[in-house]
Amino acid sequence: MTNYIFWLYHVFREQILDIPGRVIALVFFILILLLPLITKEPIVLRIFTFAAIFAIYAASWDLLAGFTGQVNLGHALFFGASAYTVGLLSIHFHNLPPWFAVSAGSVAAVMLGLLAGLPALRLRGFYLSLVTLSFPVILSGFILLFHELTGGEVGLYGIRPLSNSRIIDYYIINLIMIFSVLVMWKLTDARSKIIRLGVILAAIREDEIAARASGIQTTKYKLLSFAISGFFGGVAGGIYAHFMRTVGPSVLEMTFSFEAILWTILGGMGTIYGSVTGVYILYLFVEFLRFHPIGEQIRFVLFAIIMILFLLFMPQGICVWVRHKIEIQCRRCKIINLVTRHYCRSCGAPLRLER
Amino acid sequence: MIELIIINGLVYGGVYAVLTLGFSLVFGVAKLLNLAYTAYYMICGFIIFVLATILGVDLIPSIIVAILITCLLGMISYEVCLARVKEHEVTVLIISVALAILFQELFLLIFGGDYRRIPPFVTGFLEIAGVRVTYQHFIAIGICLITLISVGLLLSKTKLGYAIRAVAQDREIANLMGINVDRVYILTMVISVALAGIACAVVSPIFMVHPLMWVHSLIIVLAAAVLGGLGSIRGSVIAAFILAFTEVAVVTLVPGGSFLRGAVSLGVMIVVLIVKPEGLFGIVFEEERL
Amino acid sequence: MITFYNKKNDWFKVILISLLFSTVTTLAYASQPVSTLKKIKIGVIGPMKFGVGQQEWWGAKIAADEINGAGGVVVKGVKHEIELVKADSNETKSTTDAVNAMEKLITFDKVNFVTGGYVAEPVLAMQEVIADSKVIYIGGAGTQMLTERVAKNYNRYKYYFRNIHSNETMFSSVIFSLIDMEVEKIRTELGISKPRVAFLLDKIQACEVMPEIGRTLLPKMGAEIAGVWRTSMRADDLSAELTAIKASGAHIIYHFLAGPSATVFSKQWGELRIPAATAGYNNELPWKRHWKDTNGMCEYEVGFCNIGRTEMTYKTIPFFDKFLRETGEYPTDHSSTYDNVYILKEAVERAGTLETEAVLGELEKTNSIGTRGRIAFYPRGHKWPHDKVFGAEYDTQVGVQWQKGSLMVVWPDGRHVVGGLDDKSMIGVKYKGTVDYKLPPWMVEYWKGKTGK
Repeated sequence: MTNYIFWLYHVFREQILDIPGRVIALVFFILILLLPLITKEPIVLRIFTFAAIFAIYAASWDLLAGFTGQVNLGHALFFGASAYTVGLLSIHFHNLPPWFAVSAGSVAAVMLGLLAGLPALRLRGFYLSLVTLSFPVILSGFILLFHELTGGEVGLYGIRPLSNSRIIDYYIINLIMIFSVLVMWKLTDARSKIIRLGVILAAIREDEIAARASGIQTTKYKLLSFAISGFFGGVAGGIYAHFMRTVGPSVLEMTFSFEAILWTILGGMGTIYGSVTGVYILYLFVEFLRFHPIGEQIRFVLFAIIMILFLLFMPQGICVWVRHKIEIQCRRCKIINLVTRHYCRSCGAPLRLER
Repeated sequence: MIELIIINGLVYGGVYAVLTLGFSLVFGVAKLLNLAYTAYYMICGFIIFVLATILGVDLIPSIIVAILITCLLGMISYEVCLARVKEHEVTVLIISVALAILFQELFLLIFGGDYRRIPPFVTGFLEIAGVRVTYQHFIAIGICLITLISVGLLLSKTKLGYAIRAVAQDREIANLMGINVDRVYILTMVISVALAGIACAVVSPIFMVHPLMWVHSLIIVLAAAVLGGLGSIRGSVIAAFILAFTEVAVVTLVPGGSFLRGAVSLGVMIVVLIVKPEGLFGIVFEEERL
Repeated sequence: MITFYNKKNDWFKVILISLLFSTVTTLAYASQPVSTLKKIKIGVIGPMKFGVGQQEWWGAKIAADEINGAGGVVVKGVKHEIELVKADSNETKSTTDAVNAMEKLITFDKVNFVTGGYVAEPVLAMQEVIADSKVIYIGGAGTQMLTERVAKNYNRYKYYFRNIHSNETMFSSVIFSLIDMEVEKIRTELGISKPRVAFLLDKIQACEVMPEIGRTLLPKMGAEIAGVWRTSMRADDLSAELTAIKASGAHIIYHFLAGPSATVFSKQWGELRIPAATAGYNNELPWKRHWKDTNGMCEYEVGFCNIGRTEMTYKTIPFFDKFLRETGEYPTDHSSTYDNVYILKEAVERAGTLETEAVLGELEKTNSIGTRGRIAFYPRGHKWPHDKVFGAEYDTQVGVQWQKGSLMVVWPDGRHVVGGLDDKSMIGVKYKGTVDYKLPPWMVEYWKGKTGK
């Protein structure tokens, strides 16, 4: 028994504590979970809950665009489809447990995603992006068309809440966020020996023709990434519907799709933690500025200026830059070390070339 | 019924074609998907609004000044933002979106979100085959034709036009041949922004200016550019007309569904792209086709 | 060109940005409002960057200034001052922003009551916030769904009252009354026995019932339907719809345009000289700036609004003139926040406390004269509880028409009352200052030239 605990401790130390980037992630998760102990202000909890929902949403976009190179300008489709499915199910079948409704919503989002992914197979680059832009618009059109079912432009109401208290809502949603982000990260980790999906996606992103030449069925994996991305986007949309208790066509807005992209790019595309970072930095910044009377007016202008500055000077994202500052990769064994070390922690090779 | 569709389709098509021209030009030459294109169109509109409506300057001089200022702004934003990142296509896309949002929020802050009017060139309408079309719409079509022809002449007859076409075909060889590629990029940017300005001058008396006008126009411009084939100017103009006819057909034949006209035109675009993935007149290299 | 490629400048950028970030956020958090005891805080929430939000703010501000100047609100002998807290809901762009703004008003600024609101979907979401926090919200957005919710779950949603808009049944009854007036005019002046009515409606929930009601009511009036067009609220160009409507031979356009497309409609209707009278709701029509915005093309256009410069009550004309003086604009529907502040004051004074349940009870019993009419709310058990009462002496709305650059009131004219409510109690109601409705001269010319249907 104690052997098992020791083994667990060793894994923990090796996988997490020795890698500075992951330490930051761990600290971040702990702080998120401890937040209700610091403040119980409902507005603060609400903002952080929205941040968690949008973190899942942005991470699911990153999974599609950062890892397979298919820039999806209409990601709100998954979010909105799932939110409406959850809304419709919850209203017509009262007391449907939220986990069931959210799963159903995510499945609906995946189906729509695959439907959207099919024309995407023949298209490439900008054509793909611009076609994906139109899907949420078309879905909005359907929603307005079947207004008796969907409540038209006003939306649906009467969705059952996740729980009775704001704090329990907060914990449920943040635990879902942590879990989803970790799952998404593990799925796309190119270093994993067990799950090969990450390596394959990286190969497709870098050079699709070469990947095909190596025997990888790119079509299947591109559709798979659409499906996974749609699933997690749907999870975000589903819990949004339960949290807000109403759903309206604003979940399909074009600007909402763009926001996912902007958040992810700030944090760093091609890394799941990048999009989470982007959301927590930028969304919280814009929201907390609302407390200041002048800030309330100019917060979106500041948002745009910060985005432009980052895109000009740090287009790879803030996470990559931070990682570069605190980590260094050993040239021999490719293990990540703390930047202050002189020798690699596993193979002992010198980390820097001395004069 | 049918004359309604034809005439209104021509009217709307002219308007959309004017909007799409500049976007296609800059993409065809510099391969920059500049989503802030319609934001320049909005900026020009607001400058005209400030000059003509608030300050009371005459319409034609205020339009000329507005176009000049917008071109300057376009050049500055190109130099500052787009030039250094033009290698990375996705970054260009995103930075142009951020730029458009910046302009939108600035104008929202200064002017508020309500629709503002621009004085029209002429008031009044003409009746053709029972269909009434305002003179302003005619001017829009007329200007579209004139700009199309002049841009066509520019590209085919002048030295600058040759340079632009050369850079569009193959940037590196053009550079080797002694063409100053950076200068060509800047000039193309200026021409494109000027086209956006002209589009604004003729279209905003019909549409009215407001800080969110770039969103709707962007969807039309993108749909037309993609449908016609990115990089083909002829294609984007024809596609603009196709989309306009679709919209007008929806409005006329299915009046209860005229709110769907945006969605239907996008649907048409998707269908065409499934059949022909590079658009109607798009250029694709055989080795890129999978 | 300065390049920022070396390491030193990396740090410089980061330090700069984090300094900016931290100063702004600490300033933000540090500038918390300090609540003192003897104040009543009323939150005004709305899209403040748009004219509608400004109307809501001005209406509330004028009322608050008047009340504070006259000695404030007296609660059990203690004088209280009204403090207004402005919140920009940004509702036209983002529902999450609206919900956050409402939550901040209630839990952070700790307001006692809230008023305002414009777009239906964010108001629907904001109802959840006020239901959770149990704060009274006198709101807007004219769709029946919002008060039907109160009926379905009274105990949770009873904190929502509506005194800014009516709902679509009231709207329809007003518009059909206007159409009745116009039908009579068309019959007498143009000799057309069965006028055709075209519907041009936004694609919104509130408009879904209107063609149906038309199918039953119009034949009774001796009119028929020419066609139904549904447009998007943000349409830029309605010339295709307008020319199609003209081609259908319509004599009257029943329109309901609650978004920015309303100005485009007025402008193009006038520019194209569409030979049809208009009757309906045009969001922008009752504004003073509408004349300039449409280059005068809105002349002869008819719409309705909940206030007009006639003697609806003794308060109407003084309020209208004061509003015009202080803001330079005519008061329109959303300036009802003026009345909302007054009825809150009265409810608080009657209840003798700021405690929500007591004030709610008194608010339900409101029966006082406002600027539009007598204000009262439908009680629990009605199909639209907490919606404002509609009818003679209460809220009647007025039909307005631009004539020679001035906005004139043309309805109620004492005779034409048709409605989904069959509210005959309005017959005989005509306010002092109402003038006759006029047909557009180009329409008269056009139809006199034809034999008329």
